[in-house]
Amino acid sequence: MRRMIVSAVVVALCVTVGLAASVKKYGKPLTVKQTTKVSDIYAKPDAFNGKRVKVQGPIVDVCSMAGCWIAIGSDKEFQSIRFKVDEGVIVFPMDSKGLTATVEGVVTVTVMSVADQIAAGNETGKEMGKEMGKEMGAEMGKEKKPFDPKSITGPKTVIMIKGEGAEVF
Amino acid sequence: MNWRHLNSVLHRDIGYLAVGLSIVYGVSGLAVNHKADWNPSYRVQKTIQRIAPIEATERAEMIREALSKLAIGEQPRNAFRPNPATLQLFFKARTYSVDLPTGNVIVEQANPRPVLFEMNQMHLNAPRRFWTVVADVYAIALIVLAITGMFVLKGRLGITGRGAWLTTGGVLLPVAYWVYHLYIE
Repeated sequence: MRRMIVSAVVVALCVTVGLAASVKKYGKPLTVKQTTKVSDIYAKPDAFNGKRVKVQGPIVDVCSMAGCWIAIGSDKEFQSIRFKVDEGVIVFPMDSKGLTATVEGVVTVTVMSVADQIAAGNETGKEMGKEMGKEMGAEMGKEKKPFDPKSITGPKTVIMIKGEGAEVF
Repeated sequence: MNWRHLNSVLHRDIGYLAVGLSIVYGVSGLAVNHKADWNPSYRVQKTIQRIAPIEATERAEMIREALSKLAIGEQPRNAFRPNPATLQLFFKARTYSVDLPTGNVIVEQANPRPVLFEMNQMHLNAPRRFWTVVADVYAIALIVLAITGMFVLKGRLGITGRGAWLTTGGVLLPVAYWVYHLYIE
């Protein structure tokens, strides 16, 4: 009996370790065969608008509030693309940063007007102010410049992937 | 056993079974309701560190120099440059954002909140699969508790007396909000 219990515990531990080490799957299974480069989407956004794609890259940012988006680093420097999921459908843990993700979804290209960008910037500024006050104190205030609406010079094209499934490893 | 006795037994025993999950979902519900004001799952701390400016221009060398100046022995999971002046180094639950020209570094540490993190994972059904079944069974249990609860007592305090008024009040609250949200707001 004791041998059976020990064997069961060992098997359970092996399965747990095996599962932990394997690919973590979120949402719907991935179906697209071919992987698209993020830089290709940025090069021809209109050609990809509305198309279902699969992209792969490092997770360089995660929605800290609800885990409802991740930013995937591009194959080219200074580029990343946001993979957005409906809130609650997938919850990406914050410690996913730095891991590699393969994600699948539909590319959406929208143009943000100057007014929308200023509104979003002010909102982000408020959030940042809250965070700085709570978490980082006055010292951090010196490090970040407040949002300046004059920095917005024209409409901005926002490209993201509206997603349904992801694999993280 | 008459139907009222069976009803009471069901209400009592399902109620006992639902205590644990009710507390988990209730506490997590409070935490997640106010997520605009705080992060219910993680405690995110940001601190500033200062190192000498990074002189390397090639990416791999830049990473080596930053790790050396930060006195970090382990290799990062990954590195990323969101813009020409910034290098990000990712470790498990820790991110360093190095401002290359000044050497100012923002260190972000994200630690799961003890207990609350696990409660939120269950409440938001992050595990999926088996937990979806548990959550469905719990939801059905709540419906059964609500229905059987109406018939536990009879008489003046039961559903034909005081219970009718309280139940009507409880039903009117969501209905009133629904009407307001759909037709007035």
